[in-house]
Amino acid sequence: MTMNAVYNGSNLDSIVGEDPGIPFALLDEESKREIRRALLHAVCVPGYQVPFGSREMPVARGWGSGGLQITLAIVGKTDIVKVIDQGDDEGVNAVNLRRLVVTSTGIEESSEVVESTIIQSRHRIPEDEMINSHTLVLQVPVPEPLRGVERDMRELARMHAEADYSRMWVSLYEDKVRNGVITQTTGYPCLVNGRYVVATTPIPRWDIPRLHDSQFLTLFGAGREKRVYAIPPYTLVEPLTFEDVPFEVEQANGARCRLCSSSESFLVESPGTNGDAGTWTCSDTAWCRARRLK
Amino acid sequence: MGYAAARGGLTAIRNAEDLVRTLRDMDESEQIELDQFIGRLRLLVDRIMGEAGMWEPRLAALAIRQAEGDHIESVHLLRAYKSTLPRIASTEPIHVDDMRLLRRVVPAFREPGGPQILGRSTDYSARMLDPRSGSGATASLEPEVATHVADNSSSVQTNTPRLMNVLRDMDLLTDRRRTDDPEPFDITRTPARPPAPRSARLSSMARAETGALLNQWYRNILGPDGYLHEVTLGEVRHGELPIRIKHPYTNGSVSIGSLRVTEVEAIEDLNGVDEDRDRFDIGYGLCLGHNERKAIAMANLDIACHRDGSKSSLEQSILLTTDGLDSAGFLEHLKLPHYVTFRSMMERKIAVRNARPSVQKGDKA
Repeated sequence: MTMNAVYNGSNLDSIVGEDPGIPFALLDEESKREIRRALLHAVCVPGYQVPFGSREMPVARGWGSGGLQITLAIVGKTDIVKVIDQGDDEGVNAVNLRRLVVTSTGIEESSEVVESTIIQSRHRIPEDEMINSHTLVLQVPVPEPLRGVERDMRELARMHAEADYSRMWVSLYEDKVRNGVITQTTGYPCLVNGRYVVATTPIPRWDIPRLHDSQFLTLFGAGREKRVYAIPPYTLVEPLTFEDVPFEVEQANGARCRLCSSSESFLVESPGTNGDAGTWTCSDTAWCRARRLK
Repeated sequence: MGYAAARGGLTAIRNAEDLVRTLRDMDESEQIELDQFIGRLRLLVDRIMGEAGMWEPRLAALAIRQAEGDHIESVHLLRAYKSTLPRIASTEPIHVDDMRLLRRVVPAFREPGGPQILGRSTDYSARMLDPRSGSGATASLEPEVATHVADNSSSVQTNTPRLMNVLRDMDLLTDRRRTDDPEPFDITRTPARPPAPRSARLSSMARAETGALLNQWYRNILGPDGYLHEVTLGEVRHGELPIRIKHPYTNGSVSIGSLRVTEVEAIEDLNGVDEDRDRFDIGYGLCLGHNERKAIAMANLDIACHRDGSKSSLEQSILLTTDGLDSAGFLEHLKLPHYVTFRSMMERKIAVRNARPSVQKGDKA
């Protein structure tokens, strides 16, 4: 792999002395331990954003560096990793992150949920059932759910500390009154364990019900903003909405996947050209493929 | 092809990497040697090391060459490399008065005490393109003489009096010295958020992207913010500092090398109604390498932040928005596939339209 060439190349030998090699899972052991401590903290206080000393990774900040640090901090030699971006194992960013994990650890990779132990994802939860043996690692661009209503970090800290989410409620109310619906798209704000409001990464609303009372552990990593948070198994996760305004997932009005004819998965649209109608496909490519093989 | 929806993402990535490597390394011009970067692109190497928070000219040169001169990318390579290394030791505290001065400018006094050394600077050079530059034809000093001039200026200059002490002796300086000695805030291990200690602000600025810091400064001069007041510079220094660590076995202090820094003291006229109107205060800037633009901006922002007393958004801007890797990485992540979020956005557009009973569908009103 190319990283070996960079980190172990003879060019560097004269500079850094003995060939240092790449540590297992890239980061030095102290760093991994520090990230695991932050994760334990996060699991103990569901939904609380735990600050951590985010390291610079071989991928840019904003490109999954937080999720990657979590995966590398928790991965063991017997783990099997699945990495998706927008639901697709073959997306360029998914491929890139997976090869970093695999080449720096030597572990197996898979596109099958059932075979995997760690699933790192950007913007989706796989359609397949996940159980207690799975850990879902979500890459988070913006961990602060209240930033739309408040910019000052000191005030944001106070609002979370006092569970003062009134301005969030007002903003949802104004949204509903002005637009007829709540227009929040992805990353829908949810109350976790009755205590902290979290940003649900930008996963679609379609995936939100999966977080509630789940069998699996979900770890959220925001590398650029240096925060991790968690939703442990069997935790109450409630999307913020009003008693008389039901929470709505994305609707596709009877559309079906052009490959597997599913209408019960999250579909993404490919626009038509020359006036043709657009077509739809499952965002979760592994799920779609398995369905076709059945 | 080779984007998210297409198969074969790995092949596309490998091909892209091959293209970058091949077109870079097989260029018909000569390969640039690392020493050439260090010797001939000194200020670029210094800037990269400063923003990486890492002093190692040869690694910085390697990063610049690999990144085809993209400075953010070069900083990224160095910082990512650092993430793989354990932290072996901390240096002993360095006293800046131990600096071997290569340059010192004191704009506040004509005769400040101690020398004014213009040193190696283009401050007063006419900015005219010179086709002969870099060829050796412009070298008007014998190389030995040039080295001697540099050495000569540096040999006398440790413990040069600093303007801060001059002002203090005249009782013209607000005394902000503290008696405790807290450990400095380590921004590489703990994220700095407002309100943060001064050491967190200073180290954030020392590693900040130079252009971002320059912009923070100018934005506060002429932009909408205005939380900053123009300072008078007391000290602008560039020089070399010795680095010492405690020997793990003998416990003795051992010199392990040296590095160059730029140091700035900025004198602030306290003109606020509640401030000490008969004294000055001082802002401080220090960064790795020779980078005066950065150290000056830093010193002025340091004192602005102190005077501001956490009343404005300035501290948050400094701590959160000046890191080159953060800002560039997030900007460029917009290139990643976003079709899941975009699909969700399109769905809500339709939902809003359908929820409007009084407006005809498709009507832009």
